[in-house]
Amino acid sequence: MEVKTEQFSEVAKEELRKAYTFLKAGATFVRIRRETALSTFPDAAAAQAYGAIIRAEAIARLPELLEEFEKNALSNGAKMFWARDANEASQYIVRLAKERGIKYVTKGKSMVTEEIGLNEALEKNGVKTWETDLGEFIIQLLGVPPFHIVGPAMNIPVAKVRDLFMEKIDLKEPTSDPVQLGHAARIFLRDKFHRVDMGIAGVNMAVAETGTIVNVENEGNIRFNKSSPRTQISVMSLEKVVPTLEDALHLVRLLCRNCTGQKLSVYVSMDNGPKKSDEIDGPEELIIVIVDNGRSRIYQDTIAREAMRCIRCGACLNGCPVYRQIGGYAYGWVYSGPMGQVLNPLLLGLEKTQDLYRATTLCGSCKSICPAGIDHPSLFLHYRAKDVSGDAALRAKKTPMMERIFFRLWMWAVTRYRLWNWGVRFVRPFVNKEAHGGMLREVGGLFKGWFRSRDLPAMAKKTFHDRWIEAQKTEFRSQKSEATTEKI
Amino acid sequence: MDVVSVFIPCTVDLFLPHIGEATVSLLRRVGVKPIYHMGQTCCGQPAINAGYREQAKKAAKHFIQVFGDDEEVVSPSGSCVCMVKYHYPELLSEEPQWRNRAEELSLRIHELSQYLVDILKVEDLGASFGGKVAYHESCHILRGLGVSEQPKKLIRAVKGAQLVPLNAADACCGFGGEFANRYPDISESMVRDKAGDYLSSGADLLLLCEPGCLLNIGGFLSRNHPGKKVMHLASFLAHYQETGNNGQ
Repeated sequence: MEVKTEQFSEVAKEELRKAYTFLKAGATFVRIRRETALSTFPDAAAAQAYGAIIRAEAIARLPELLEEFEKNALSNGAKMFWARDANEASQYIVRLAKERGIKYVTKGKSMVTEEIGLNEALEKNGVKTWETDLGEFIIQLLGVPPFHIVGPAMNIPVAKVRDLFMEKIDLKEPTSDPVQLGHAARIFLRDKFHRVDMGIAGVNMAVAETGTIVNVENEGNIRFNKSSPRTQISVMSLEKVVPTLEDALHLVRLLCRNCTGQKLSVYVSMDNGPKKSDEIDGPEELIIVIVDNGRSRIYQDTIAREAMRCIRCGACLNGCPVYRQIGGYAYGWVYSGPMGQVLNPLLLGLEKTQDLYRATTLCGSCKSICPAGIDHPSLFLHYRAKDVSGDAALRAKKTPMMERIFFRLWMWAVTRYRLWNWGVRFVRPFVNKEAHGGMLREVGGLFKGWFRSRDLPAMAKKTFHDRWIEAQKTEFRSQKSEATTEKI
Repeated sequence: MDVVSVFIPCTVDLFLPHIGEATVSLLRRVGVKPIYHMGQTCCGQPAINAGYREQAKKAAKHFIQVFGDDEEVVSPSGSCVCMVKYHYPELLSEEPQWRNRAEELSLRIHELSQYLVDILKVEDLGASFGGKVAYHESCHILRGLGVSEQPKKLIRAVKGAQLVPLNAADACCGFGGEFANRYPDISESMVRDKAGDYLSSGADLLLLCEPGCLLNIGGFLSRNHPGKKVMHLASFLAHYQETGNNGQ
């Protein structure tokens, strides 16, 4: 998928003009659903904390768990391919398709397949791809990127879907009834499932203990992708592995509640390899493609690797006050919202994603919501510090010289209070030049952004430092005069 | 008499010194002796937020030198208290002696409303206000420090004041320090929503405990809704004293 992370500010500006009121109204609705679902745990906070511990362990033991997963998946009869990067992964899948004479594939929703540009690679090599998740299907037909990692088409008005279906999937009667539109998509995609020979899906959890692939979904299209074709391809990034089946099931409980406010999704499917010889249903071959694409390099950074805990529930997007204003397009790549803000910089390098870890107020909503215990605000600060040091491993670019000089001066002033007070006195007349009625309405240059829509109090003629000194003098004087009066 | 050391954030020192005066006045009111170390300047948040950890470390060490011997430190800013409590130990983690001092200090520093209600067990500051007030839950105060009931208890104890619900009270106001200047479109949209929620709450006054939020929301209201006021809780309690002795 094309990287547009460097256009964050322009795209955000454009998106703000659309005034996504549904995001703000929806946020309250989604929040209540999530909290209600979590309250079905005897102790919701403990359940979330437990999920965080499972993911922390999974990441801490990632290398050994991946090897255990491979051993068990292979003994279940699955095949496995370790892809170093996006190109290796997508070319491997193209080769599998060509070898088997595949004309088209059906796809279950998978963010990692968008990360590796799989659809483009297949189409370029003469293999048609059909997204079968309704939201992904809609954005595929429209040719737009995902708006939200869980609900990629949530911003597309029903009328637009109606027109799209009439144009592209032979919807006969115009209707704005979402159920009827869903039905039209179902009929269309049923035909594709009927004859599909290769289905590609993602992985929610890869269980090391048993070599099991776990998928959760509400539509049933992932199950179709996995069970009806002869060849099932399951694509996963490294971090999807969890230690045990119990761990996976607890995470499924958290994933569903945090994601959609459901206690469990409509379908939960688990694959232990392909069809066994005595089974009547299932794919003849199950090929697991494990994608690295920079993750083992990220793993070396013991702080940044926390971002890999993400279970893709999307709750951080729903809770983010910035996402609620701008929607998903501005983040410029596959992963949006706070989870995209911690992951994209690691996968694409800090230099290309400067805005992603700065366009945040560090409000902490994401951190307070996350069932995997990711501390997004700390990671943002970590990336900013890496920028200052020009860290090569995270592909950071050093910060501008003027900024570095400013903070050197700032440091001198902060550690020497007389210099601080003198600095304030020196700067004040320049800052307060344009003050009217105790307020500043315009201070040009670096602070244009603030003053477009806000005033600022003028710098106080007497700082608190000054007032304290004065108050002490007055008190001393009045104590002295009291003493004098008493004498009389 | 209890002695408490007052930490006045740089935003208050430079732009809103009356909040510092209100803080001192309230502490005196409840029988505590406030002291103010002249050496204090800034907790270092701007540096750590911009990624300048070395500079932030220097600020942290200076802060610890200034406040390290105090039994209790109180501040009318949640974000600064969070900085000291949670960032200082991490910032100084590679220097065990400094880290220990930071961890030690983190137990003794409090946000003002937390100090009044939880430590001094005081809720009635002798204020009275005949009107409706709404309370904005600042991010660092609510999610950083877990402080929410304490300011509301102080408000409910104000004679005649009616605390009305504020829609999306815990939604971020869009300040975020440098964020407001660097991403003004997004910030403006967020603060406009916050102002809208204030206006539709029916409150005569909006109260909060965070100077940053005050500058942001107050600045927007000043430009766009000049009649509507927002006050720091300390200023409000100090100003609307029952005895009619309005502290300026």
